[in-house]
Amino acid sequence: MVAVGTMVWLASELMFFAALFAMYFTLRANVPEQWAANSPLLDVRFATINTGILVISSVWCQLGVWKAEAGQVGRTGGLLEFKKWGMREWYVLTYIFGSIFIAGQVYEYAHLVHEGVTLSSDSYGSIFYLATGFHGIHVTGGLIAFLLILGRTFTTRRYTHAQATGAVVTSYYWHFVDVVWIALFFTIYVLQ
Amino acid sequence: MRYSVKLFTVLGVFFVVMSAIYTFWGLNYLPDRFEPVGIVGLLLSALFFWFIAGYLHVTERRLDPAPEDDPRGNIEQIQGDFGFFSPHSWWPLVLAFSAALLFLGVAMGWWIFAIGAFIGVPALIGWTFEYFKGQHAN
Repeated sequence: MVAVGTMVWLASELMFFAALFAMYFTLRANVPEQWAANSPLLDVRFATINTGILVISSVWCQLGVWKAEAGQVGRTGGLLEFKKWGMREWYVLTYIFGSIFIAGQVYEYAHLVHEGVTLSSDSYGSIFYLATGFHGIHVTGGLIAFLLILGRTFTTRRYTHAQATGAVVTSYYWHFVDVVWIALFFTIYVLQ
Repeated sequence: MRYSVKLFTVLGVFFVVMSAIYTFWGLNYLPDRFEPVGIVGLLLSALFFWFIAGYLHVTERRLDPAPEDDPRGNIEQIQGDFGFFSPHSWWPLVLAFSAALLFLGVAMGWWIFAIGAFIGVPALIGWTFEYFKGQHAN
């Protein structure tokens, strides 16, 4: 039931991002000169690396999910024996990669604001910060969710089904946010 | 569950057909006022339904045949445990109040945001850990 509810909610989240994509394409069609002026300021190479970090974090998350489904919460070997890692270690690694992505976003924002692209500079600035910013808030929300899910693993002696379900639905959300970013990256950085 | 999959798939197909008609109409009858929003919106509406259809399809294959798919099934076959539902909790109310303050803070002033965060953090932790502590911890 938790999983079904999460999927229905994520489907509604898709419509939220649909509105942002619709805004982007409308503005793109109506004021192409702003795109011509602002798009060259984007650092596509930096954004590509940052996208890669987020995509890889989804892989770590899925490895954690398989451990959660197998009921293995903590590692059985040393810290560097990643084959013996449990759900906790993989989720912490996902968290670190997600944090690096957010740090990269903040760095990019600082760079663009320095170049004069702000939320109120023009239509391009507005939709750029709205779309990537709402995505960034979603990633931050996911990071908070990871903390809560990790915290939950310490409340019981045995890893329960309810805890595993929580870990699995958090991964659904994380993968969803990842896929949305790939679409945003393709729209904003590749198509421009 | 099989009929739920069919229902959501058909609804998605409907929106693909609609977006095709919309595109055709826009290009042929209103070429000077062409806009892509409707096309994007309609296509993503199709994805919205297929997203749920795809998930139900994957879930269906993992589960036993559902009683609602059996033409000879009876209502009482569907009874049983549907999952855990909180019987009573105050946390959603506190959490919603703090969320209201957070959004109000963005619009009105950051000092309200700070108050919202001050209420929101314990509310969020209280809500997520409500059934994982005290007598529920094991």
